[in-house]
Amino acid sequence: MNESRRLIYVPILHAQEDAGRTDSILTNKKIRRRRIEKQVSAVEEMWKGIAAKIGELNIPWDKTRIYQDGVPVCGNEVALARRLADSGSPNFSFICNAIQEGAALEGTEDMDLLIQEYDLLNKLLMSNAGVDQAASNTEYQAKSRALLILRDQFILNRITGTLQPGELPMVFMGVMHRLDKMLENDFSVSYVIYRLPFRSIGTIYNA
Amino acid sequence: MTTDVAQRKILIIEDDADLLMLVRHVLEREGYRVFVASNGADGILVNEREDPDLILLDLRMPDMDGIETLRNIRECDKKVLVVILTGYGCPDTIREAADLKVSEYLSKPFANKDLAGVIGKALLP
Repeated sequence: MNESRRLIYVPILHAQEDAGRTDSILTNKKIRRRRIEKQVSAVEEMWKGIAAKIGELNIPWDKTRIYQDGVPVCGNEVALARRLADSGSPNFSFICNAIQEGAALEGTEDMDLLIQEYDLLNKLLMSNAGVDQAASNTEYQAKSRALLILRDQFILNRITGTLQPGELPMVFMGVMHRLDKMLENDFSVSYVIYRLPFRSIGTIYNA
Repeated sequence: MTTDVAQRKILIIEDDADLLMLVRHVLEREGYRVFVASNGADGILVNEREDPDLILLDLRMPDMDGIETLRNIRECDKKVLVVILTGYGCPDTIREAADLKVSEYLSKPFANKDLAGVIGKALLP
């Protein structure tokens, strides 16, 4: 592989909709609903900015292969993206628009590792009030970090293993991934960053 | 934290004098009380003296960069809201900024209305 091959890397924060998470857990109280509205608004603004920045790059969409964290290698990647876009994810709406322009969406993550991450996060979110939330969070962060190393290694192998000659890889990753460090060995990485509203969204969902 | 905009204090730490004056003008027009520092060391001192509600912090500065400045500030001030401004963003600094509990990471160039919007939202309870 050409060592200086260009790769577009977009660090992102995830909305609830990106994970296909239903509202039942988090919107059963008005205060939580208000918080989620604030999160959704911040994520939508972030994606408007990302879309504008990417729009300035004159991307050759018909030669672009997209890698997105959270999208498992399953054979139904495009259908999954459409379903998440329909459920309100600005992340996947952007990807579906790119697919319409000719981009390819590649299965990016190992399903088993994703399920492990999902189980960890669910365990944290479902832990009841009697549990020490700080300790639960610390335990989640530690286990999730270890899992993230395995996920990033898998994603790196997917990118180098599926990218076709002449294609431009475009990678959308939650900010806590460290894939960027691995990619810098093989690619000339261009980062696209508009804004990252940490306080409005929080970072817990971004592994 | 007060809810009256006129009582809200914002500290800008930015080594680019032109940008610093522009941002100061934008924020004063919005009604904020604005303090400025042109380097990290001065920023730390002004933060201690003025106890602002929010800091606008440039990442790339000579001598002490934005992350180092913020690390120093966080040693004695865990609560101040921080918005990072940068023209050279990369995931490494994003992760460091996230670890230091920044409210927002905004890349340059930005529109004045975007900056005012980001600060207004950051200051919401």
